[in-house]
Amino acid sequence: MGSVVPMLLEIQTAIRRDILGNCDETVVATLSDTLAPVDRLSIYRNTSRTALTNALRLNFPAVQRLVGEDFFTAAVDTFITREPPQTAWLDLYGEGFPEFLLGFEPVVALIYLPDVARLERAVGRALHASDGKSLEYSELLDIEPSDHGRVCFTPHPSVSLVFSPYPVDAIWRAVLARNDEALAAIDLSSGAVRLLVERRVGEIEITRMDVRRWKFAEALFAGRSLSAALAVADDPDATAWLAEHLAAGHFQEFTLSDAERPSFAAELPQ
Amino acid sequence: MRFQHHQAALDTRADVAWMEVHTENYMGGGSPIRNLEAIRRDIPISLHGVGLSLGSAEGLDQAHLDRIRQIAEHIEPDLMSEHIAWSVSGGTYLADLLPLPMTEEALAVVCRHADQVQSTLRRKILVENPSTYMQFRQSTIPEWEFMAAVAARTGCGILCDVNNIYVSAKNHGWDPLAYLAALPPDAIGEIHLAGHSARQLADGATLRIDDHGSRVIGEVWLLYEAALRRFGPVPTLIEWDQNVPPLDVLIDEARHADALIDVASDGVCRADAA
Repeated sequence: MGSVVPMLLEIQTAIRRDILGNCDETVVATLSDTLAPVDRLSIYRNTSRTALTNALRLNFPAVQRLVGEDFFTAAVDTFITREPPQTAWLDLYGEGFPEFLLGFEPVVALIYLPDVARLERAVGRALHASDGKSLEYSELLDIEPSDHGRVCFTPHPSVSLVFSPYPVDAIWRAVLARNDEALAAIDLSSGAVRLLVERRVGEIEITRMDVRRWKFAEALFAGRSLSAALAVADDPDATAWLAEHLAAGHFQEFTLSDAERPSFAAELPQ
Repeated sequence: MRFQHHQAALDTRADVAWMEVHTENYMGGGSPIRNLEAIRRDIPISLHGVGLSLGSAEGLDQAHLDRIRQIAEHIEPDLMSEHIAWSVSGGTYLADLLPLPMTEEALAVVCRHADQVQSTLRRKILVENPSTYMQFRQSTIPEWEFMAAVAARTGCGILCDVNNIYVSAKNHGWDPLAYLAALPPDAIGEIHLAGHSARQLADGATLRIDDHGSRVIGEVWLLYEAALRRFGPVPTLIEWDQNVPPLDVLIDEARHADALIDVASDGVCRADAA
C-alpha cells in the first residue's frame, strides 16, 4: 500500500489476494462495517470458490466421479489457488488441470487420471470452442502444384488429438454412463489409444485412430508441412486421409511453410 | 433460462414475452449458441453479463468485450446488461460480483467503461445495482446516487434489482424506499426480482445473501409494487439460477409479477422468467 488512502486499484488487489487465499489485512482495514469484516469477506471468498469449483466440475465430470466429490473439491481448491482463471469465459477453465493432476501426489496411484482429464479438456474444446470457419477444399485449388508440399494446416479449435497409454475413452464413457460393470471390465494394459475428438452436429465424437493415421494427423495438427506429414506417414493412403480431414472440417486455414522446397513429392487430394 | 430449458423452450414455444440468459454461457460455438439462435426466432432475448467487470481499475478485458459483441451480433438481443461491480483484478477473474468503494474515482472508472462498452456494441446497455455485504471507509457517494450518476453521465439505462436493493438495505441499514426514490424513472429499463437467504453471523447479526435459489419473499414483492408505482410498467425478470426449478414454477412466479404489473398499469408490459 503506497498511500494513506488506498486507491481503487490497491483495494481491488488486496481483495483479490484475500479471495485467492492470501489473507490481506489491508482489505480488512478498508472496510467500514460494524460486523466482523472477516465474516463479510468470507461470503465473497466462498461464492468465488464455489463458482470456480462448479466450473471445473462441469468441465471435468469424469475426473470428479473417479475420485469422488470430497476429494475432487479438495484437489480443485489447490488448483484454483494455483491457477485461477484469466477470463470470465469459464467453459474452457482448467487448461492446466491435467498437468496439475500429473504432479498431484494424492492421485499418483490413479495413473490414468491425468489422461482422462486431458480427454475431458479435449471434449470441452469440442463442446465450447468458437465455431469459426472450416477450411474448404476449394481454397486449396489455387496453390501451385510445386507448392503442395509446403502447405501447413491450422487445426480447427474444436478438434483435438489425445494420446494415452491407457484406454481413457472407454474409462470416460463407462464413468459418465455410471456403468460400474463396464468400468471393472476395462483392462489398463490393453494398449495405447490414439484419439481424435471433434464436434459433430448435436454430439461429441471420439474416434480411435490406428498408428499410421495417427502419425500423419499428429504431424499435420502440429503445423508441420504436408510434405513432412506424408514422409512421417509413409503410406499410399495418406492423401485420402487428408481428404477426410478436409471434408470433416478439421482445419481452419493454411499457410505455406517458408522451409526450402521439399524433395518429397506431395499431392493434394483430387 | 439455462441449458436444461432449451428443449422445453424449443418444443413448447413457451408462452413468455421474452427471456434472459447469461451472456457468458454462450461464448463458444456448437449447440448452445445455435439453440439460442433458434429460440430467438420466436422469443426476444435479453443478454445479461456477469463477467465484464465494469468497475475494474485496470481496464476492461478487450477479448471478453469482443466475445460479447459477437454474441450480440448473432442474437440481436432486445436488452443487454451488466453490473455495477468488479470481478477482475491483476488479470484474474474472481467469479463473483465484488463491491466497489462508492468514490469519485470508482464512478469515473465505471463511466469510462460503460462508455467503452456502449461504443463497442453501438447500443445502450443497462447497469444493475448489486447485492452487497460490506461497505468501504472510503465511500463518499450513496449507492443510489452512484447509480443515477452513471446513467446521467453515460446515457446508459438502469436495471433495477429490487431484491438487491432490499438485501443491501437490510445489510447496511439503508431505506429501500429512499433508494427507489433516488433513481431516475426514465432510465429504468428492466427490473429484477429474486429470492434470497439469511445467514446468522458469529456475532449474532443477520446477513441477507442474494442467492437466486427460492421464491421472492413478501417484503420484496411490496417493494416491487412501490417500484412499479414510481417507474411504471417495466419489463421484469425473476432470477432463479440456483436449485433451478422446472420451467412451470418459474413461469408461475412470473405470472405473479404480471398480475402486479397489470394492477400498476394497463398491462402493456409483461414479466418473464430467467
